Amino acid sequence: MMATLIRRELLDNLMTFRFAAAVFIMLLLVVANTAVQIKDYERRLASYNTAVKTHQRQLQEGKTYSVGKLSVDRPPNPLSLFNIGLDKRLGNAIRVYHGFVPTLWDTEMHGSDNIFLNLFTSIDLVFIFELVLSFLALIFAYDAIAGEHERGTLRLTLTHPVGRGYILLAKYIGAMLCLLVPFLMSLLLTVILLTTSTAISLRFSDFLRVGGIVFSSVAYLSVFYFIGLLISVIARRTSTALMLAMFVWGFLVLVYPSMVRTVINLQESPQTRTASAFNEIKQIWEEFDRERKQFFTNNPGLGKDMSFLGIMRGGDTVEHIEEDSSILQYYYRIGLCVEKLKEKSEPQVPHIQNYYRFLGLQTISTAERAWLVRERALEDIFVQPANIERILLKLSPVGVYDAATQAWIGTDLDGIRDFFTKVRQYRQAVIDYFYDKEVFGSRKWFSADKGAVDWSTLPQFSFQRSNVVINAKRALPDVCLLLMINVALFIIIFLVFVKSEV
Amino acid sequence: MWHIAKRELYDNLNSLRFALTMVLLLGLMLTNALVHLQEHPAQIKKYRASVAVALNALRSRTDLYDIAQRGPGLLYKKPSALGFCAEGGDTLLPDAVGRNDTVWEDGELKSFWTMKYPSTTPDLKNIRSDITKVDWAFIIGSVLSLIALLFTFDSISGERERGTLRLILANSIPRHTVLTGKFLGALISITIPFTLAVLMNLLVISMSSAIRLDAEAWGRLSIIFFLVLVYMCLFLALGLLVSARVRQSAVSLVILLLTWIVFVVFMPSVLPSIVSGFSPAPMTADEFQERIVQLDRELLSKYDNRLWADETLKTKQVRSEYVTRDAEIQERLNEKHLTQQIDQVQRARTVSRVSPVTIFQHLLELFAGTGFERHLQFLENAQRYAREYREFVIDTDNTDPESLHLIGVREGMSQKPVSPEAVPIFEDTFSLSRDFNAAAVDLLLLMLFVIVLLSGAYLAFVHVEV
Repeated sequence: MMATLIRRELLDNLMTFRFAAAVFIMLLLVVANTAVQIKDYERRLASYNTAVKTHQRQLQEGKTYSVGKLSVDRPPNPLSLFNIGLDKRLGNAIRVYHGFVPTLWDTEMHGSDNIFLNLFTSIDLVFIFELVLSFLALIFAYDAIAGEHERGTLRLTLTHPVGRGYILLAKYIGAMLCLLVPFLMSLLLTVILLTTSTAISLRFSDFLRVGGIVFSSVAYLSVFYFIGLLISVIARRTSTALMLAMFVWGFLVLVYPSMVRTVINLQESPQTRTASAFNEIKQIWEEFDRERKQFFTNNPGLGKDMSFLGIMRGGDTVEHIEEDSSILQYYYRIGLCVEKLKEKSEPQVPHIQNYYRFLGLQTISTAERAWLVRERALEDIFVQPANIERILLKLSPVGVYDAATQAWIGTDLDGIRDFFTKVRQYRQAVIDYFYDKEVFGSRKWFSADKGAVDWSTLPQFSFQRSNVVINAKRALPDVCLLLMINVALFIIIFLVFVKSEV
Repeated sequence: MWHIAKRELYDNLNSLRFALTMVLLLGLMLTNALVHLQEHPAQIKKYRASVAVALNALRSRTDLYDIAQRGPGLLYKKPSALGFCAEGGDTLLPDAVGRNDTVWEDGELKSFWTMKYPSTTPDLKNIRSDITKVDWAFIIGSVLSLIALLFTFDSISGERERGTLRLILANSIPRHTVLTGKFLGALISITIPFTLAVLMNLLVISMSSAIRLDAEAWGRLSIIFFLVLVYMCLFLALGLLVSARVRQSAVSLVILLLTWIVFVVFMPSVLPSIVSGFSPAPMTADEFQERIVQLDRELLSKYDNRLWADETLKTKQVRSEYVTRDAEIQERLNEKHLTQQIDQVQRARTVSRVSPVTIFQHLLELFAGTGFERHLQFLENAQRYAREYREFVIDTDNTDPESLHLIGVREGMSQKPVSPEAVPIFEDTFSLSRDFNAAAVDLLLLMLFVIVLLSGAYLAFVHVEV
C-alpha cells in the first residue's frame, strides 16, 4: 500500500509543468552562478599566489632583523562557492611582528582591485538553494492534503485500510524524492564544473564536506516541505493554502533575515567600552615607554637619541606608534637598519645591543599584556553582537541552514578565526626562533654593516583548513536543530491530520 | 469598467492576502523608520564631527606654504536625509576622499597635498553576516513586487478555472475593459496598504526632532512615490500577462515566482559579476602602489642632482618645478585608476539594466541621494573643490608682489599671513536637476518595460480562449 501511495505521489509530481520549470530554472541559476564563482575563485587564488611572492620578496629586502617585514596571507577557500560566508569579505593579509599580537581586525587586503565592485552582492549556491528549494518544497506541499480534500480523493484514499500517518509519510517520501531530483542534478553539474577547473583540486575531505552540505540541504528541504504540509492540513482550501504558503515563504526567506540584520544594527558598538579598553592598552604601552626611557637614563653609554640616528651613515629608522582606536590597535613599531656605522660609534655598539635585548623582551611581554585586554574587549564589542545576530537569524530555518553549511565549509567566523589562531602560533614560533638564535641582542638586529640577515632559516608559515571532523562538530548543533524542527513539525502535522475531519 | 475594478477591489479587501500584505508592509515600514531614527542622527553627528576637525585644521593655518602643502585634509561625503529610501550600499563605499594633512617626510619638498581615493572598503573588518538593509528599495523592490504577483497570478486564470470569466465576457463588455478593470482593481488594492505603510513611515520619521526633511526632500519623496506606482504597474502587468496565457493558476504562480527569482534575486547580482569579470580589470591596489613608487623614482632620478645643488634662485625654481610635477603625476595616476574603476562598474551597471528591478533600484538610489551615482557626484564635487583650492593658493600668491611665485618651495611663496576666512571650504551638494538628467535613461527604460508588458497582457487576453 505504502509503495503504491509513494508511486502515485511520484508520478503526480514528476509529470507536472511546475516541476519541469523548476528544474530548468534551478539548473540555469546554479550553472551560471557556479561559473561566475569559479572564475572569482581563480582570480582570488592568483592574487593570493602573487601576494605570497611579494611578501617573500619584501622580507628579503629587510636587511636587519628589526626592519624585516614579515606578512602572511590567507588562501581562499576552494569550497567557498557553496557558501561564501566571510571568506571573501574579511582581510586576507596580515603582518607578523614580535611586538604585536595580530587578530582578525588587523588585516589588510591583498589583491583588492575595484572597491566599487563590492556594491554588487555576490550570491552563492546555498543562497540559491535557500531560495529556490524552499519555494519548490512549498509548491509541492501546499495542495498535498488540501487539494485532495477539495477533489474528494482524500476520502477515497482513507476508505482503504491505511493509517493516516502512512498517508502523510507516503506523501512526504514521494515529494522529497521528487525534490531531490533538481537538487542532485544541480549539485552534480556543480561538481563537474568544479573538477574541470584546473585551479581547484578537491581532496577526499572536501567531498565529505560537500556530503555534509547535501545532508543539511535535505534536512532544510524537508523542513519547508513540512511547513507546506502543515499549512495544507490546516487551510483545507488550496487557494488559502497557497497564499499562506507564499507569505510564510516570503517572511522566512526574505523578510525575517533582513529585519534581524537591520534591527541588530541598532546596537551601536558600545563607545564607553571601546574607550576604556583603548585607554587601558594605551597605558600599558605608555608604561613600556617609561621603562624604555628609564633604561636610557640608567645607561649613559647609550647616547641621547633613541633612534640612534647619530651612529649611522645611510640606512633608515622606523619608530612610530600604530594607532586605531576603533579596533583598539595601539603599539610601537621600532626598527633600525644601519647600512654603515660611523667608526667612532663602534664602542657604543655593545650598549645598543644591550638596549635592544632589553627592548625585545619588554616589547613581547607588553604586547602579551595588551593582547589580554584587547582580546576580551574585541570579543565584547564585535563578536558578541555578531553572535546575537546569528542566534536570532536561527529562528528562521534559513539562518540555521546557512550557519550549518558555512560551518561545513569553514567560511564561518570560527573557520576564519582558525587562521588567526594559526598566525598567532606562527608569531610565537618566530619569537622562539629569535630567542634560539639570540637575535634580539645581536648586531644584526639593527645593523647591516657586516652583511644582511639570512631569512631562509626562518620557520615557514603554512595554513591548512581545519580537519573535517572539527567542521562536522561545528555544524552538528545546527544540523541537529534542523532535524529536530523536522520531527516536531511532523508530530504536529500528524496530530492535526489525525484529528481533522475529512 | 469601474464596476469590474470595484468588484476586484472588494474581492481583494476581504481576502487573506490583503490582510497579510497590510501586516507585512506596516511591520517593514515601521522597522525601517525606527532604524532610520536611530542611525541617521548618529551618521550626521559623525559627519559633522569629522568635518569640524578638518575645518579646524584648515582654519588654524595662516602660512600660505602650509596651506598649499597640507591641503584641506580629508573631504567628507554628506549623508543623505533620505537614506531610509535606499541604502545603496553606502556602507561599502568610502565616505571620504583626499588625504590626511600629515606630512610624511622631513624634507619639505615631498608630500604635497593631492587627491587620493581610498582603496579598501570600510567593510573589511565587518564580521557580521551580509547586510540587506530593510529600506524602501528592499521593501518595494523585493517584497512589494512579490505581493503584486500574488495579487494578479490568478486574476484571469483563476476566473477561468472557476468559469466566471465566461460569465463576464458573455456581457457586452469589450475585453480590454475587463483587463483594465482588473488591472486598476489590483493596483488600487495594493496601493491602499502601501500608502498607509508609507504614511506611517513618514509620520514616524517626521515626528522626530532629530531629523528634518526640507521641501526638496519632500519633492524627492513624491517622485519616489510616483516611481513606486510605475514599478508596481510593471509587476501587475507581468502577473496579468502570465495569468492570461496559462490555464491553471498554480502553474501561473510557479512561472511568476521563478521569473521573480530570476529578475529580483539573480540578475541584479550575477549579471554585474559576469560583466565585470569579462571587462578589462583596473590596476589592483598593489599594482597601483608599485606604479606610484616607480613614477616617483623616475621623477626623482631626473631631478636628483639639481635639487640640492645650491641655494640660488635657479635651484629653487627647479625645486618648485619638481614639486608641481610630482603632485601632478600622482594626481593623474590616481585619477586614471579611479576612472578605470568607475568604467568597470558603469559597464556592469549598464548590463544589469536588463532587469527592471535594477533600474528601479538605480532610480531610487538616485533620488534618495545614495549609492553609486551619488558617490560619483561627490567625487565630482571634491575634484572641483580641489581645483578651486589650488587656484586660491596661486591667486593669493600672485597678489603678493614680494613673492617669488615659486609654488611648492617655502622661500618662493608669499610670506604674508592668509586670513583663514578667505580659504575656500568644501561643501558637498546635491542637485535635483543633475539627478533628473542621470535618471532620464532609467526612467525611459522603466516606462518601456511597463508599456511592453501591458500591451503583452492586452494581446494575451484578447487572444485567450475562454
